[in-house]
Amino acid sequence: MLLLEGARVLCPERGVDEVLDVRVVEDQVAELGRGLAAHDGRRIDCRGRVLTAGFVDLGTQLCDPGETWREDLESGSQAGAAGGFTTLLLSPDTSPVIDDPSVASDVLLRASRVSGARLEAAGALTKGLGGEDLAEMGLVIEAGCIALSDGGRASRDTGVLRRALEYARPFAVPVLLRPAEDGLERDGVMHHGQVSLRIGLRGIPAASEEIGVARAVALCELTGTPVHLSSVTTARSIALLEAARAQGLPVTAGVPARSLVLTDEAVDDLEYDTAARVLPPLRPEEDRAACVDALRRGVITVVSADHTPWSRVEKEVEFEYAPFGAMGVETAFRATLTALEGDLLLCARVLGQGPRAVLGRPQAVAPGEVADLVVLDPCDPHPVRGPFRSKGINEPLTGRSLLGRVHATVVGGRVAYGPIALQG
Amino acid sequence: MRHMLGLKGLTREEITRILDTAERFKAVSERRIKKVPTLRGRTVITAFFENSTRTKMSFELAAKRLSADTLSFSASTSSTRKGETLMDTARNLDAMKPDAIIMRHPASGAPHLLARNFPWTVINAGDGINEHPSQALLDMLTMRDHLGDLEGRTVAIVGDIYHSRVARSNIFGLTTMGARVLVAGPGTMCPPALEERGVEVRHRIDDVVEEADVVMMLRVQRERLGRAMISSVREYARFYGLDLDRLGKARPDVVVMHPGPINRGVEMSPDVADGERSVILEQVTNGIATRMALLYLLLGDGRPALGGDDAAA
Repeated sequence: MLLLEGARVLCPERGVDEVLDVRVVEDQVAELGRGLAAHDGRRIDCRGRVLTAGFVDLGTQLCDPGETWREDLESGSQAGAAGGFTTLLLSPDTSPVIDDPSVASDVLLRASRVSGARLEAAGALTKGLGGEDLAEMGLVIEAGCIALSDGGRASRDTGVLRRALEYARPFAVPVLLRPAEDGLERDGVMHHGQVSLRIGLRGIPAASEEIGVARAVALCELTGTPVHLSSVTTARSIALLEAARAQGLPVTAGVPARSLVLTDEAVDDLEYDTAARVLPPLRPEEDRAACVDALRRGVITVVSADHTPWSRVEKEVEFEYAPFGAMGVETAFRATLTALEGDLLLCARVLGQGPRAVLGRPQAVAPGEVADLVVLDPCDPHPVRGPFRSKGINEPLTGRSLLGRVHATVVGGRVAYGPIALQG
Repeated sequence: MRHMLGLKGLTREEITRILDTAERFKAVSERRIKKVPTLRGRTVITAFFENSTRTKMSFELAAKRLSADTLSFSASTSSTRKGETLMDTARNLDAMKPDAIIMRHPASGAPHLLARNFPWTVINAGDGINEHPSQALLDMLTMRDHLGDLEGRTVAIVGDIYHSRVARSNIFGLTTMGARVLVAGPGTMCPPALEERGVEVRHRIDDVVEEADVVMMLRVQRERLGRAMISSVREYARFYGLDLDRLGKARPDVVVMHPGPINRGVEMSPDVADGERSVILEQVTNGIATRMALLYLLLGDGRPALGGDDAAA
């Protein structure tokens, strides 16, 4: 038994916003109320803090199987819990790719034993994520995958993408796509614009993402398959998304948390630090502001951690030779809270409710619901500092002053992250 | 100044100081004993991860004429071929206690990576498509020889502006010095966004040659052209090459420059390259004085360079 005392409980699903105690028994929320007695269980002092349903990420790379020096299921799960996430959806771009039921079964069996955030998995849309042949979507879903994904690879063949969406539809799981046009993205290492021109790095035009959004929207209409765009980061992408949603098309979208606080100037400010080499690339200020605005208006409903850890081996190199990707699960909440100027309710929406809706798994803070909870400290800005629970070394937000702190994370009634000395 | 990574961000005063210092070092190379003791006991490593003849020789001569101990390292003979990372190579160089590393590298920002992580001076001798500051400085020194002050002068740069570190450094340096920069070249190589850097983009070579005090032709880097950058070399030569006809429309005292090596008959016809307006070999000579100035200013601890009170000129 666990008692979470005196928290401001935020539940966007039920419209709750009041100070309450929350009693957890086994893996469920048992009771909400004022002045609940502690009995013999453990307590977490939540006074002055916010309690909400745990965060959900829709595309985490934990590099397991295949590259476990970068991250593994356990380290990634712990990093997730430290960031307030109670569920991470693993991206299929492992080695081997999750495109086969035996790989899916192995990952999910090992994932069931982790100590931090719950791990779910997305299967690949195409074999080996190669964008050429359809993967065995039905078999990987039977093996336990709860979504399908392009693994962040820009699709080269729109015809194959169309067939993949058509084929996926009867399986009725969410399909996640990163909108991008391979031909425009291939040679670039950062956003194409004034900064790339100034510091002599080849750019990826915003048109790459925008063509990807337009293509996904058109294919969504053609095939009738709901699509979640995993990262939308430019003003025009948002306009395309908004028009599609206004038309009633089943398109949702997310934005990486770092894209809400960093711009392409970070590549120059960090002096070609490879942690700033990410996909989608960091954009100029106008686009960053448009993303924050789109979250406020409910056009973008999801903030993603876009967690892609790399070790020194891969990232301690020349910018042009480094792989894309940055860590994110341990900083996503703080980046989001900072970008949203301390709006904890909106944070709970875009990090919790939005991604849960994409997965079709709403969860309230209410008796009988699973006890996947996070306790947040709305504290003053302070710098992001390691050590991180992730094995990665590539956190571009390191040193930046951000709001907030995760106080505790409860996964299935168990304190997966929290103050070392729990009272009681 | 501890490093010379690029001309971006340098002030007019800093550039002027480098050029004035270079001016004084010119004399050293004209003497019978071409050596001053300024950097005696200092160790300068040239680390070239990309082929180069003139820049490497020029830096080595500059260091030797300042009495530094020099050794050179090139990627083709080194362990980078065996898969060692740049950082590991640099850690090994660091263990040998150098004072400065002069570095050329095919990746933009590679010198910055070392400058951020090691205690020695890093001089960028060309990084990817980013900057080649010593080339732009020697170009400006050569322009000064012919034009005096650069303020208000018009410099036309023709060719692959986007992929040229020479163009990029010249654009930063020249605009800082108050010169007007016009560029022309194929649409794939002259992005309109350059306008926001204070550069006028014209595309047609005739439109820039007529107004220019200096015409700087860039090398067509055939080995580096990406896919779908130009249609053919002959079309390039026809629309963007400098020949005597085109030069005839320029001011009679126009100065013609090229960072070398020249593709004769592509960006420049032989009669222009060898013609009386060409200062291409003066650029090479000025390269040594410029690089001596850089080494002196970065490593000289303010000691007099040429004896006496440093008023050597």
